[in-house]
Amino acid sequence: MASVQPSAERQNQKLNENPSIRERLRSSFNRWVKRRIPPAREVTLDQRRIFIFPSRTGFFFGCCLLVMLIAAINFENNLSYALTFLLATLFIVAILHTYANLSGLTIRAVRAQAAFPGQQSEFVVMIERGKRRDHYALYLKWPSSSEALVNLVDVDSVKVPLHMPVDKRGWFHPERLLLESTYPLGLLRCWTWVDLDLRALVYPRPLSSAELPGLATDTPDGASAMVPGNDDFFGFRDYRKGDSLRQVHWKGLARGHDMQTKQYTAYADRSVWLDWELFPGLGVEQRLSHLCYWVLAFDERREEYGLRLPGVTINPAVGEKHREQILKELALFGTGGSTR
Amino acid sequence: MKIKQQVPRNALVWIIVSLFALVAPHAGRLPIWVLAVYVIAVVWRLQVHRGLWSFPGRWVKVAMTVSSFVGIYVSYGTLVGLEPTVALLLTAFALKFIELSQRKDAYVLLFLGYFICITEFLFSQDLLITLYSMLTVLLVTTALVALHQPGQNRFNRGTLKVAGVMLLQAMPLMTVLFLVFPRFGPLWTVPLKTHAAKTGMSDFMKPGDVATLSQSADVAFRVKFDGAIPAKSDLYWRGLVFSRLEQDVWSGLGYYDVPPNEQRQNEVVVEGTPLRYTVIIEPTQQNWLYGLHYARARSAGIMASSDYRLVSPAPVETEYMYRVNSWGDVAVEQELSEWRRNTETKLPPQGNPQTRQLALDLHAAAASDEGFVDSVLSFFTSESYVYTLRPGRLAGSDSIDQFMFQSRRGFCEHFASSFVFMMRSAGVPARVVAGYQGGEINPLNKTVIVHQFDAHAWAEVWLDNKGWVRVDPTNAVSPMRIEMGLEEAMASEGSFLAAVPLSPLRYRSIPLLNQLRLRYDALTYRWQSWVIGFNSERQFDLLHSLFGEISARVFATLLFGSWALVLIPVAISLFMRRDTRPVNRLDKHYRIFCDRMALLGLVRAPGETPGQFLSRAQEALPAFADKLKLITGLYSELAYAGERNEAALAKFTGTVNQFKPDRRRGVVVNDSVTL
Repeated sequence: MASVQPSAERQNQKLNENPSIRERLRSSFNRWVKRRIPPAREVTLDQRRIFIFPSRTGFFFGCCLLVMLIAAINFENNLSYALTFLLATLFIVAILHTYANLSGLTIRAVRAQAAFPGQQSEFVVMIERGKRRDHYALYLKWPSSSEALVNLVDVDSVKVPLHMPVDKRGWFHPERLLLESTYPLGLLRCWTWVDLDLRALVYPRPLSSAELPGLATDTPDGASAMVPGNDDFFGFRDYRKGDSLRQVHWKGLARGHDMQTKQYTAYADRSVWLDWELFPGLGVEQRLSHLCYWVLAFDERREEYGLRLPGVTINPAVGEKHREQILKELALFGTGGSTR
Repeated sequence: MKIKQQVPRNALVWIIVSLFALVAPHAGRLPIWVLAVYVIAVVWRLQVHRGLWSFPGRWVKVAMTVSSFVGIYVSYGTLVGLEPTVALLLTAFALKFIELSQRKDAYVLLFLGYFICITEFLFSQDLLITLYSMLTVLLVTTALVALHQPGQNRFNRGTLKVAGVMLLQAMPLMTVLFLVFPRFGPLWTVPLKTHAAKTGMSDFMKPGDVATLSQSADVAFRVKFDGAIPAKSDLYWRGLVFSRLEQDVWSGLGYYDVPPNEQRQNEVVVEGTPLRYTVIIEPTQQNWLYGLHYARARSAGIMASSDYRLVSPAPVETEYMYRVNSWGDVAVEQELSEWRRNTETKLPPQGNPQTRQLALDLHAAAASDEGFVDSVLSFFTSESYVYTLRPGRLAGSDSIDQFMFQSRRGFCEHFASSFVFMMRSAGVPARVVAGYQGGEINPLNKTVIVHQFDAHAWAEVWLDNKGWVRVDPTNAVSPMRIEMGLEEAMASEGSFLAAVPLSPLRYRSIPLLNQLRLRYDALTYRWQSWVIGFNSERQFDLLHSLFGEISARVFATLLFGSWALVLIPVAISLFMRRDTRPVNRLDKHYRIFCDRMALLGLVRAPGETPGQFLSRAQEALPAFADKLKLITGLYSELAYAGERNEAALAKFTGTVNQFKPDRRRGVVVNDSVTL
């Protein structure tokens, strides 16, 4: 159990006047934590990963004990001595109880929701207990996220959603997740930082432009292309994973046929290529922002659209998956991040 | 408000419970309005909780604080002293509760609660109070635990269990600390009790005082003799010596009444083995201690007065233990100084002429002072005097004459006072001695329990060559009182403890009740001698007898050894909990299967269904697709089957047991060995 004073914020306050020392301390501390608790999708807490130190309340309690001891000495009162010692040993026993409240917990990264800049991204982690004991008041927070206080009582695991504002396009890595607890007495603070290797995709900020300059179309106006939609009934095909349940041919299923999906067509007026070259003279981020805006616009109108970026071509299509794919390309364009 | 700072409802309930539990033992000492503040505080806070009222504003808080200071000052007449301080603390505790909104307020409140437990001990260290205080400590600790159980909105007994277990785990270590922590004297003088009632004998005596005291069944002190217990009729516990009679009131000599050269006790030559005993006295708020004639304290810090009494420098505020040696047959003060002789023969110039005349007549008829004493005693015996707890009031002046020649009914103080008056009338030095006589012997632990109703007054006469000699005129009137006790002496009158009908002492004739009472008293004695009376002397004796020479090494070994002895089992009990892995065979074996897959690098993701896992695994290990499908299929079938299918389950577990991946080669080997 290490007895360092670890909070980076606290170090900030102390060392504000000397940034170089602050930086050095901070980076060496981060290196140390990284060695001790390397990034992983799931972390099981053990003595290498749990830190414990008296909380501020604990120090206050210590002062109270001192006053009680002085009272006992001055009044030469044996029962006061006894109560003071009982509380002092309670403090000691609490070390084990507080530690046990974190020990054996497994924290898993579940998912991180993609978001637009300025929005809150939802990060979901799961806490799982390894032994059949109750864990109370587990406090979770990323440096800039919302906070959560959860119990693990009568259940073996609990999913915790935390919300965090994101701003820059690309992959957003939250810093280390703080998991802390002062249960049962509040006298000791037991905590850990885990790097959950969890990242959220941040799309470009959509930027509207009055109209799409120089529409590039593949098909002549008015030509009908079969695009899955829900305007007119068209026929049946075998059920594929991912088909909407609303379009399943339930009556047929009830008659004992295989599961089939009803197909509809939408008349796509045109299919659009959202092209990098449509916005000449603009910066990378601006182009991406405009493209993003149009992706959302076409998606809303359920029109076919494709994407052409330098080195990336996605054929026109429509649908949620398609949109996600395109937005991902836009989000990661030029960041060196892999889309896979 | 940050979520960490919220106070769960369960905690609020426990805080209210401990609030009342803490104030209850203090209630008798507090002004009634403080208790009213508690009720108001709880009502207010609950109304805030229900959203009907709001928290007090800043000026309301200031007003409440100021008025509680004023209230305490008005109620006690001062703010200094232990009682006003504790009352102030308790009032602050209630007021703080009203504004309890965040967790940090609760910490302040609960730590104050622990401190209030300690203040209770300053008033009483009784066994029952201690047991009660353990309960309050448990309640406060429970509230502290409940504070860290968010979302537990129902009143939850599990919290109590957590707190109880932690306190029990702390007990052994507390005991070790209690035994080894060095005891040293006070660091500075502390506020004393200013408002506690003085109990027991007072430092003056009017006719009727001892009779009033004899209505109380409280314990005055307990004595444990190292050897055999002397006869009851020899147990004259001297506490006070009254040398001065003014307006029918006997009083002792104050410190400044004694000239400086008389203040030291005369040298007493003792010989023979003394009677060794230990006294544990209940708080009296007075300075004098009790001992048998001629008493010499073995405990440090006890003074000896010039009239051969034991005196504590500070009032006895809590149970106090001291050790005494007594020599019964030693003569004291064989040479009487001029000042002493004058003091011990002094009478008011007028009053009680008949008694004076009687004394002079008897003295003239007697051959010596000793003969005079005998003739006065036989006068009491022959003249049909009645020893009674109901002597009736003696009004007006010449009360001794009234008693001697008219009412002839009196309690010990009447007899002692008249006797001394007669001695002094004839010029024989004499004085009244007050204390206790006799006591009840507890057969269970061989202690002598001296109750307030054992209060007694007798006389001491100074005789040539003999010094001060004890004479008990009551013995002449009612020998039963001295040999048996007050209850037997008052049997015909039926006045024993008439004022306290519920005292267990009145039911001594019921064997079961009496046995219980004596057993509890023995427990109290043990408690007082081992816990309350534990001081540096006892500590040294104990550690020395256990460990021999006490060195730093022994000390450290003792401390750390005992801590390890307790903390290791606690740690084991905490960390060796049962696995959360399912206990039924089906899930257990599927877990085993997943663990073996994990060895091959195929980890089942949380939330991945067995079917999804299967398809992923089949892709990765096409060679074993059938085996994997078999296991998963059997698992799904069994998991969703309505009834137990032992045969299929056996097949499933067998298949899983045979499925053994080889980590080195990265393949699954199929051997027929079953686990």
